[in-house]
Amino acid sequence: MTKQCNDPGEEGNTVIDVGEGAAIPKPSDKGLVSAWRISFAGALLTLGCLLYFKPDPYLKIFRFVPDGILITFQVTVYSIVLALIFGLITGLGRISRNKYINLIASTYVEVVRGVPLLVQLFYIYYALGRLVQVPDLLAAVISMSVCYGAYMGEVFRAGITAIPVGQTEAARSLGFTRAQTMYYVVLPQAWRTILPPVGNEFIALLKDTSLVSILGVADLLRRGREYASESFEYFETFTMVAVIYLIITLILSKLVSIMEERLSSHVKR
Amino acid sequence: MVKKFVLALALVAMTASPSLAKTIVFATDATWPPMEFVNADKQITGYAIEYMKAAAKEAGFTAEFKAVAWDGIFAGLASGKYNAICSSVSITPERKKTMDFSIPYFKVRQALVIPAKSTAKCIDDMKGKTLGAQISTTGHFAIKKAEGVKDKSYDEVGLAFEDLYNGRIDGVVCDDPVAAQYALQNEKYKGALKIACIIEAGDEYYGIAVKKGDKEDLDLINKGIEAVKKKGIDKQLLAKWIGGGK
Repeated sequence: MTKQCNDPGEEGNTVIDVGEGAAIPKPSDKGLVSAWRISFAGALLTLGCLLYFKPDPYLKIFRFVPDGILITFQVTVYSIVLALIFGLITGLGRISRNKYINLIASTYVEVVRGVPLLVQLFYIYYALGRLVQVPDLLAAVISMSVCYGAYMGEVFRAGITAIPVGQTEAARSLGFTRAQTMYYVVLPQAWRTILPPVGNEFIALLKDTSLVSILGVADLLRRGREYASESFEYFETFTMVAVIYLIITLILSKLVSIMEERLSSHVKR
Repeated sequence: MVKKFVLALALVAMTASPSLAKTIVFATDATWPPMEFVNADKQITGYAIEYMKAAAKEAGFTAEFKAVAWDGIFAGLASGKYNAICSSVSITPERKKTMDFSIPYFKVRQALVIPAKSTAKCIDDMKGKTLGAQISTTGHFAIKKAEGVKDKSYDEVGLAFEDLYNGRIDGVVCDDPVAAQYALQNEKYKGALKIACIIEAGDEYYGIAVKKGDKEDLDLINKGIEAVKKKGIDKQLLAKWIGGGK
């Protein structure tokens, strides 16, 4: 097992020699043909064809679900923003030197990771309904962000601990306080490692919003289910719902990869 | 190995013997007391379940019940996952297009359940309010027909009642025996909820749904239901599960 690396400054791919077998190619998002483009074009084409050639069920379904798409979108956006905040707090808590903060953050992660999201939704909405009346949309956003906050907390922690300790030492010796070191030196670098996995969490979160339909929140999935069980057009409805979910998810994943490029543009030559 | 083979053969021979009754598998969404629900012993039971068991005995087939979620119960019938649906399915013209129904075995109407404190008389006083129902039930359709009322659909009717009890919605519309069960008999909800009115939408009848064109099962089921009615078994079951109120 020998490992050779070219200078990052040089043109050309890094070759990792693993004895026998071909070099592992880097996934390329460049060029006209990329997985994302194929999926996106395919999804749009499917949607277009269905609407154009079989407008009878498909156009009707398409007209029925837009408010559901909006709700799905709302829940996703609010939950992402909140989950990022929760995640950052948790991640920092998990590496805090204060014993109690560390313990609280770790316990939160352990508990939330150990309960299925669907059960959490039920719990916050129905079980806690005894004590506090949370509207369904808010309950959905709270459970989604609490759950994903814990996952993102782990991602943040991993990203922050991946920054070489020399960086912190250098900043501290220049007279930065701990908070300043974190804010000016560590976090900006950590972002680059953190963003791809966090982007994945965003997409997982978007797909998991379909679970909130269990609370009677009229999201895309519930609208689809309502239409299907009234018209008995199960195949058509769920084809439509799947394609719409795919399109939304692909748009989100594109946004994430654009962000990644922006952030790492000054690293690449 | 040989032993196993002989055993298997014997089993096949046993099950293939014509003396054994035909089995009809009924799908049921057992969240609809007192018609069909899961009791404390995790058994599916209720008025409709016992009714069908009696009908099976009369017509000479074996009734097997399979718990299926309401949402998608008709899709499973169409794809042949089970032979029939015994789940308080109201016979409607729309449903008749995609499935066949047995003769009716129960008459229902839609009832509106509201908090005991509410002063609303009926669905006309519910403008701007939110009413809940189980997804794609006739109660849900009734809410959608009412003008100026917001509808909220639930996977199970019990969740709708829980939300009503917690004050998140203003009323629930469902079949009247179910409404009576929740609003008048249920220990937890008894004092807090009341039946406001019966929504005038004409009478509805429950029937057993079978796959379109499945005459064989339908005839057997109809034969059973007729026998149950003739013998008056349905009266006994009414007294047992619903009380003499109907």
